[in-house]
Amino acid sequence: MIQIPEIKTRRLILRGPEPEDYPDFKATFSSYRSRFMGGPLNKYEAWMLYAAEIGHWDIRGYGMWMIHHKDDDRTLGMAGGWSPAGWPEREIAWIIWPGEAGQGFALEATHAARRHLYEAFAWEGAVSYIDPKNLDSIRLAERLGAVKDTQAATIDGNDAVYRHPSPERLKSGQLADGIEMEISQYSNPIFSPKGMPVD
Amino acid sequence: MTLPEIAIPTIDTPDLILRGYRESDFGAVAAFGGSERARFVGGPHDRWTCWRAFLAGVGHWALRGYGMWIVEHRASGQVAGRVGMILNDGWVEPELAWHIYDGFEGRGLAYQAAQAARCYAARHQGLDRVISYINAENTRSIRLAHRLGAQFESDGELLGQPCQIYRHPAIGDAA
Repeated sequence: MIQIPEIKTRRLILRGPEPEDYPDFKATFSSYRSRFMGGPLNKYEAWMLYAAEIGHWDIRGYGMWMIHHKDDDRTLGMAGGWSPAGWPEREIAWIIWPGEAGQGFALEATHAARRHLYEAFAWEGAVSYIDPKNLDSIRLAERLGAVKDTQAATIDGNDAVYRHPSPERLKSGQLADGIEMEISQYSNPIFSPKGMPVD
Repeated sequence: MTLPEIAIPTIDTPDLILRGYRESDFGAVAAFGGSERARFVGGPHDRWTCWRAFLAGVGHWALRGYGMWIVEHRASGQVAGRVGMILNDGWVEPELAWHIYDGFEGRGLAYQAAQAARCYAARHQGLDRVISYINAENTRSIRLAHRLGAQFESDGELLGQPCQIYRHPAIGDAA
């Protein structure tokens, strides 16, 4: 088994995808929730994609982490780096299981994964390819400081490209502080957000 | 930070090296997957599906502890195919599978690869008397199954498509 680095945040632990996490992955990728990630998938396709998530780490040296809650270790979704053959640029991607949305987990996990890709894996930047109808993800990209890049090459013309801020811009300043503040509010028990579900 | 490879064992046969995956193998895997030759394994596939299958070939080893090897032709250094054990979601039991790429047929290489993989699976992976799922129209694969000593067991179904199930003989310690 490959050694995938573990990342800890306030509420989360990010680890490599493990065999026992497959049912959770399959449940989401068999559901309408995955419609912007090529789904819903049948069980064969879900299996192949999950195995590919692991293979990606081996072939590329980076990949998607499984997001776990620190309290009970349950899985919440995935976040990390993704780079299929032939894609124009390396992507930062995320998905949160439908029952776990609205608690800021995607923001907290993706922010930490992006920092790891930038700092430990020396990425100099990244994009996210997002279906224009995937409003929740577009909102998350913007909360992460990514900006729509209309000049960048798309995967197949059906996706919008959001360009993430550079490692330099994330080191300090208003953008970085704003993200940290939002995450800290989600983590604060007296501020438990209700209402509109955002990732 | 370096990531140790998933420990895919290497097997040497007279003409072949069964080994783990390298990014440079993807071209050969995609050429097969995108071609008419893949019609008996659910293809031809688009490039994304080939990429997913390529990565999944690695990930299967992590998920199951066994999987398909890349088959390298020793003399030319080219990728001649893939061979090994598969237990994807939807498979009833682990299957010995072989994909032989264009230009490497008719030289007994598939036989050599399948025999080596089957032997390794029986000795080291606890997988003996395994099956192969074969499309009834895939006469070359059926011929190879027979040559390997496998026998038709029953008609079956894989991913909603009819197929035939061949049962391989016990290898056990004798292999």
